[in-house]
Amino acid sequence: MAMETPEYPSTDQLDRQIAVMLADDARLSFRKIAADLGVTEGTVRGRVRRLQASGLLKLVPIIDIASGGPGTGNGQQMLFITVKCANGKFDEVREGLLAMPLIRALYDANAAHRLIAVCVLSSLDEAAEITNQVLALDGIREAETEIVLQTIKYNTAIAPIATLEDIARAAASGTGDEAAD
Amino acid sequence: MISGGRSLSEEKPARRARGASLDEVDRRIIEVLTRDGRAQSTSIGEELGLSGNLVANRIRAMDAAGLMRVVALADFRVHGYKMLARIRLKVSGRAPIEVANELAASEDVLSVHITSGRYPVSCLYAFRNARAMLEAARNVYADIPGVEDVDVELLNNVYRYNPTVGPLGA
Repeated sequence: MAMETPEYPSTDQLDRQIAVMLADDARLSFRKIAADLGVTEGTVRGRVRRLQASGLLKLVPIIDIASGGPGTGNGQQMLFITVKCANGKFDEVREGLLAMPLIRALYDANAAHRLIAVCVLSSLDEAAEITNQVLALDGIREAETEIVLQTIKYNTAIAPIATLEDIARAAASGTGDEAAD
Repeated sequence: MISGGRSLSEEKPARRARGASLDEVDRRIIEVLTRDGRAQSTSIGEELGLSGNLVANRIRAMDAAGLMRVVALADFRVHGYKMLARIRLKVSGRAPIEVANELAASEDVLSVHITSGRYPVSCLYAFRNARAMLEAARNVYADIPGVEDVDVELLNNVYRYNPTVGPLGA
């Protein structure tokens, strides 16, 4: 059965404006953001901390895929793997996929019998390796792999990033209840 | 400490061509930034045995060359979206790139890829409500020439999101 999705912490216009200002340069000074938005630096700092704590904002370095990731001098390849799980096997398949470090992102879709994995690979050998690992999992009814040939658009600022763990943690600590000013 | 042939602390702000690659110093700086994207250059320098200026220059140079960028990723909900779907399109009688370009024009389309699969065009589409999603699915089919079939998958839960690499040039 589909796992219940908990409530997300609420956000407001100021949260959105701060996220937009940080989007292309997460190292922008809070003083500058505060001045532009007409709030105090402490407010900006508090908002960023709260968003980070609830998993709704991540300030991270992204290496360009064409210039290669850790340990390589070469470009890398994105691969999507979509699996349909056999009845009752969803949790098992999900845990199996989460154990694979080449999988950078994992979502479920369409009432949770389907899992979508995003991999970043250094070579076709790695594509073969991950395909073999995934198909060897018990409980997969169907699997589809798609190699990304070309990226037309890629928004690094907006994405589905808040994981179930993030949300559960935020709900437990009550960070979602009120905006810290 | 990182030892090299020349003194790193006296290095001039690096000028790099696009397509250049990251070196060992860059990678160690990125490693620290992965832990804290807003770590001060001086504290990164202290940890790695480099000057704060060198660290600041390296970060600026990597950004300018399009090799690495410290970004703020916000969940789609922060931007007022309520739902997110992967929409994939089968295309015939038209180059997928043309269909992809038409899709990419919409602000609500967050990413568009051309893939090797059954559905050569794959995008991530964000919606403010359920009605917007139904309309988008219908309009993609009705309004974009060459679209032969549409597959809509509503994303539900995120189990992992660990981006370290992405197509920054797109």
